[in-house]
Amino acid sequence: MITVTDISKDYHSETRRTYHRVLSNLSFVLKPGEKLAVLGSNGAGKSTLIRLVAGVEMPTIGRIERTMSVSWPVGSAGGVGGSMTGNDNIRLICRIYNKPFKLIRGYVDDFAELGKYLGEPVMTYSAGMRARLNFALSLAVDFDCYLIDEVIAVGDHRFQRRSHEELFEKRADRSLILASHIPQIVKDYCSRALVLHRGRGKIFDDLDLAFEIYHDL
Amino acid sequence: MIFAEIRVFGRALAVQRRVLGALFMREFMTRWGRRNLGFAWLFAEPLVFALPVIAMWSQIRAPFEHGLPMIAFVWSGYLPLLIFRHVTGQALYTIKYSAAMLYHRQVTPLDIFIGRQGLELIGNIAACALSFLLLHMLGFLDWPDDYGLFLAGFFYMSWWSIAVALIVAALSERSEIVEHIWGPTSYMYMAVCGFFFMAAWLPTSLRQIALTVDPPLHAYEMIRAGLFGSSVQTFYDISYVSWILAIVTLIGLWLMRDVRKHLVLE
Repeated sequence: MITVTDISKDYHSETRRTYHRVLSNLSFVLKPGEKLAVLGSNGAGKSTLIRLVAGVEMPTIGRIERTMSVSWPVGSAGGVGGSMTGNDNIRLICRIYNKPFKLIRGYVDDFAELGKYLGEPVMTYSAGMRARLNFALSLAVDFDCYLIDEVIAVGDHRFQRRSHEELFEKRADRSLILASHIPQIVKDYCSRALVLHRGRGKIFDDLDLAFEIYHDL
Repeated sequence: MIFAEIRVFGRALAVQRRVLGALFMREFMTRWGRRNLGFAWLFAEPLVFALPVIAMWSQIRAPFEHGLPMIAFVWSGYLPLLIFRHVTGQALYTIKYSAAMLYHRQVTPLDIFIGRQGLELIGNIAACALSFLLLHMLGFLDWPDDYGLFLAGFFYMSWWSIAVALIVAALSERSEIVEHIWGPTSYMYMAVCGFFFMAAWLPTSLRQIALTVDPPLHAYEMIRAGLFGSSVQTFYDISYVSWILAIVTLIGLWLMRDVRKHLVLE
């Protein structure tokens, strides 16, 4: 379970002596197995919320409690290093999360389908390839809750189908927070949606209603 | 009760060890990787810096100054200076450069710092050892008179460099001003640290002030006392410099503690 209680997040302005409140007074609970979408336009705070839930940034006010293992924010940046090769990144993740290299390497190779590119620096990868590597690594490490920032949308059709298979058929009992603004992907993966607008958030159990409101904003 | 706590502590220690190992390897691959000389650059880089300077100085200065062999004296000043300059120079934005690693919750800013600055320190120490051997074989440097004191000097120089690097690293994430003032500051440091003078050459009143406000001078004095033995007069106070460095380290750790608040992740 993840319990988010009354969190707000401020960022200092880079140019003026002021700050921006990106999220304000947000609360929700994510139960095991629950799949939550986060909807919002660019800059609405989707990625910020995901980083806060992951625990890689701290909320300015409020508390986040986690009683299950939570993945790192899986997106097209962060988590994997640029000038290291794909294989070196796999080794790094294995060391940090204490997993056997052979097993993880096998899984990533099969899922991400990067082939010989695993021996090349990650900075030479396309956004889609990077997303595939990052996502494959997080699936290989195995978490109770996955935090996914748009990456599924970056991949091609085949990758999307396999992601769906991994997250639903093999990991139906796991939780998911998925930031996206593509209706089809959200409907495929999630049962509830959190709509973010100007730092405020509201949970909808009806996805169609959530989209309607999101589009009217 | 107590056993449970020991178990928790043991597990935390294991995580810490794994994370540091991973970051060390990462730093290693990122900086030297699999290209050309690979890891040989770790100590070749400082050597490329040091040897030409030593060669030049030995040409333009008299072979003996204050009764000391010129090359040995320059070596004992310049190589420790490189430790400080490289370790602290690398510290600017050291956390920001590896911020992608902070996406893994087990990794703390301090881990990143230790991985990067630790490797830099090891490379520079290796360069010290290698250049010493090289100059010894060429007949410019004798074995140290007192190994313990000689190594203690390098230990204090390393500690001082890491402690200052902690502060530089933590402050540079807070304000860009640090980047602009660190260049000139580390340049002025060259003049005052003890790189080209010994405490004994200073007038008594100035010597007291220098030994009070200039921790690296103690390290230099120890290195030279160890290298030249009783042929030079040296001044150092191990307990004083230990206290000062402990305080500087604590300030650095304290600043590093909430550096996460000042980071903007991608």
